Amino acid sequence: MAGSKPWFFRSTWVFHLNSGSCNGCDIEVLNMFAPTQDVERLGVKLVGSPLHADVVVFTGPVTYQALPYVVEALKAVPEPKAVVACGSCACGGGIWHDSYNVVGGVNALYEILESQGIPKPTTIYVPGCPPKPEAIMYGVLLARGLAEQRQRREVFVEEVPEGLAIPEGVEGLEEVVAKAVKAFRYGGR
Amino acid sequence: MGRLSILAEGLSKHVVTEKYPYEPVEVPEGFRGKPRIDPSRCVGCGACVNACPPNALSIADEGGYRVLKLFIGRCIFCGRCEEVCPFQAIKLSKEFELAATDVGDLTQEVRLVMAKCAVCGEPYATLREVRKVAEALPDGLRALAYVCPRCRELMTSHYAGFARR
Repeated sequence: MAGSKPWFFRSTWVFHLNSGSCNGCDIEVLNMFAPTQDVERLGVKLVGSPLHADVVVFTGPVTYQALPYVVEALKAVPEPKAVVACGSCACGGGIWHDSYNVVGGVNALYEILESQGIPKPTTIYVPGCPPKPEAIMYGVLLARGLAEQRQRREVFVEEVPEGLAIPEGVEGLEEVVAKAVKAFRYGGR
Repeated sequence: MGRLSILAEGLSKHVVTEKYPYEPVEVPEGFRGKPRIDPSRCVGCGACVNACPPNALSIADEGGYRVLKLFIGRCIFCGRCEEVCPFQAIKLSKEFELAATDVGDLTQEVRLVMAKCAVCGEPYATLREVRKVAEALPDGLRALAYVCPRCRELMTSHYAGFARR
């Protein structure tokens, strides 16, 4: 989040936006402010209006019923803003990703917002079903630039063995191939 | 109760607040965190893809490779993939700090080489899977594992006694 002031001059105020979530993530978001993981000691405060917020903690897969209100609430948050997409539903649609009555996560929502002329806000994705309160806390700190990202894309490509992919010395392979070729000759494909 | 006694009682209780961002937090026994595919064990059979309820795992054949993709952004951390994996290749770790600024960072991709049919040359299964099957077959039939199912069907239909030999 590119703030006009350095981070130590301002606290992160969080607005909790439910877009049709099952309440699992919402319970964890409120746990974050409870005594065990008291996030207010880091200057993160829950506010009741999007007009006061710096960060929107976004839960749910965006049902079509909630869509107009979600758009209104996101419009009301002043710039610079960040969205913490909390839970699997908000990150990529979750278990409802192909359901008929949901938009399917924040990325699908941003496509709708962009068609309305609203730019895409900075987004932190916090997967989990629901994520631990510590995981959401980590996401909020990442939005503020106080934590370092650990999760990275991982790609593994197996090396192609030299020559044909068939190991040498398989008993009877030549015989099999010969029989198969013969089979094709007498009316195969 | 006077103020001093309240203060004394308050100080006698321990602090419950975790020091989380400054000190690591312990996760409970059996916690289901980030799933990870061990590329050295995976054979690309696709059992996890069938079991995955939110389709976070997907499998596709692209240009001689079988590509297994895991999108953690959609995962519900149920552990069904870990249950069904016949080679214990996919496991749920204790890791929970998965926040990322880009959705692309939430993916894991495993590309496995596919075996080509000894007869027609078309890729039909991953090389690792074929080798596992070949190990399990008796000596006389081992070569059949290196032929694709379509060619095998043709061969066995024309030579009915071949498979039983």
